[in-house]
Amino acid sequence: MQTSRDWIGTATVASLLALWAVLTMVTGTIDTLRFPSPVQFWQSLKQIATTGYADGTLLSHSLHSLKLVIMGFTVAAAVGIPLGLLMGWSRRAEALINPVFLLVRPIPPLAWIPLAILWLGLGDAAKIMVIFFAAFVPSVINTFTGVRGIEPNVIEAARMLGTGRWRLAREVLVPAAAPMIFTGLRLSLQASWTTLVAAELVGALAGLGRVLNVAQQDIYPAMVMVGMAAVGAWGWATTRVLAVVEARAMPWLAVRA
Amino acid sequence: MSAIEFDNVGRLFERDGRSFPALDGVDLTVADKEFVALVGPSGCGKTTCLRMAAGFEAPSSGRVLVGGAPVPGPGPDRAVVFQQFALFPWKTVADNVAFGLRNKGMAAPERRDRIAAIIKLMGLDGYETAFPHQLSGGMQQRVAIARAYVLDPQVLLMDEPFGALDAQTRVVMQEELVRIARINPRTVLFITHAVEEAVYLADRVAVMTQRPGRIKEVLDVRAIRAAENWDRHARVEDVMDLESFVHLRTHIWRSLREEKVGGER
Repeated sequence: MQTSRDWIGTATVASLLALWAVLTMVTGTIDTLRFPSPVQFWQSLKQIATTGYADGTLLSHSLHSLKLVIMGFTVAAAVGIPLGLLMGWSRRAEALINPVFLLVRPIPPLAWIPLAILWLGLGDAAKIMVIFFAAFVPSVINTFTGVRGIEPNVIEAARMLGTGRWRLAREVLVPAAAPMIFTGLRLSLQASWTTLVAAELVGALAGLGRVLNVAQQDIYPAMVMVGMAAVGAWGWATTRVLAVVEARAMPWLAVRA
Repeated sequence: MSAIEFDNVGRLFERDGRSFPALDGVDLTVADKEFVALVGPSGCGKTTCLRMAAGFEAPSSGRVLVGGAPVPGPGPDRAVVFQQFALFPWKTVADNVAFGLRNKGMAAPERRDRIAAIIKLMGLDGYETAFPHQLSGGMQQRVAIARAYVLDPQVLLMDEPFGALDAQTRVVMQEELVRIARINPRTVLFITHAVEEAVYLADRVAVMTQRPGRIKEVLDVRAIRAAENWDRHARVEDVMDLESFVHLRTHIWRSLREEKVGGER
């Protein structure tokens, strides 16, 4: 089953690539000044990878963006998960924190960008702040939902067994809520990349968003596509890493099959 | 001194701003090392009784004493076996059983010995590193019973522990529990709605009324079991065929049926 699905997937992608090549290079149906051909895409990729573009190579831009995503995401998770646990466990903490949360939550993360730039300038700090605001929300909400969804019997069993507060959090609440916590982290990671690119588009000195921005000003669609592909590839790669961490963190789910 | 004592216990529940009584003047004592089964029509509050002994709920009036002292809250001296097992799915069988002992701060070597012994007693050898969901329902309940037994608790509180099992597994578990209770007698409060299970397992069977629940009558099975020598039969079905068993069972059934009719008006 899996192999036949893989085949269909590969065939679909190959067909689209072939169609792209034919429409741009053979029939000329698509104007290559608006939408680049595969060859132009490849040349732009070579250019940014070797000589560089927008004050950096593909690698340096990528690493810069990756660094900001990892920092913003990590801080958001490090604050969001404990806060979600606290709100899920203690009605009092929820009553205290939730109103603030409800006030801030409807503001789209991208709306923080102007304020972040005014406060922190065009450097890294502003980007990390915006990523934090975007990535923080799904981490908190899903952790909170995960804790609230724990089977009451399981918590009663832990209390009956004389479990202390710290061990209850570490060995019962966290693993019981882990599937939801990881759902939150996946959404947080996605949000991190989205907001990073948006923030870099508005103004940045380096990074994949800056590549997109400069390429747009240079009217260079092939380089825009290279930038888009790079963001997509890094988003995919970081999601894969998170999936591996998730599988390692929850071995009891791995043997379920 | 009795191990568990319900002294004129009442319990009110609130719903839609109105309170209605779930229990009304429950009097029941369980002696040390005695196995008492509590049967009653559904909704009569038998699980509430167990939850108060466990410390998950407090009585609205009267007193619930364990070991002569009021129940302070849940704790490992009153181990509970839940109908839905309530194991920790992320812990292996051995880690589930070890969890309560670790909370007590027991040293690792002693812990290992205790766990090995209970795993052998419960027939769980070879499953130490399995996760709960890899086991059948009957095996999962064995783990839950092992987790409670290993604590060496003052009392064992079992809330319809075999209610979620299929009929065959249920019979095997009943025989196992009798075997273990003979090797290692404990004070047990056992909730069930299965009359035959209650008569087969218990020293005494307490029958409850329809809500608001009270103790209607308490039957001493122990004397009849000894006189008729039930224990010479290893199998549940052989015991259940004995005239003395059928007589007791029918008596309790009739007693419960009266309640059902009364509750359906």
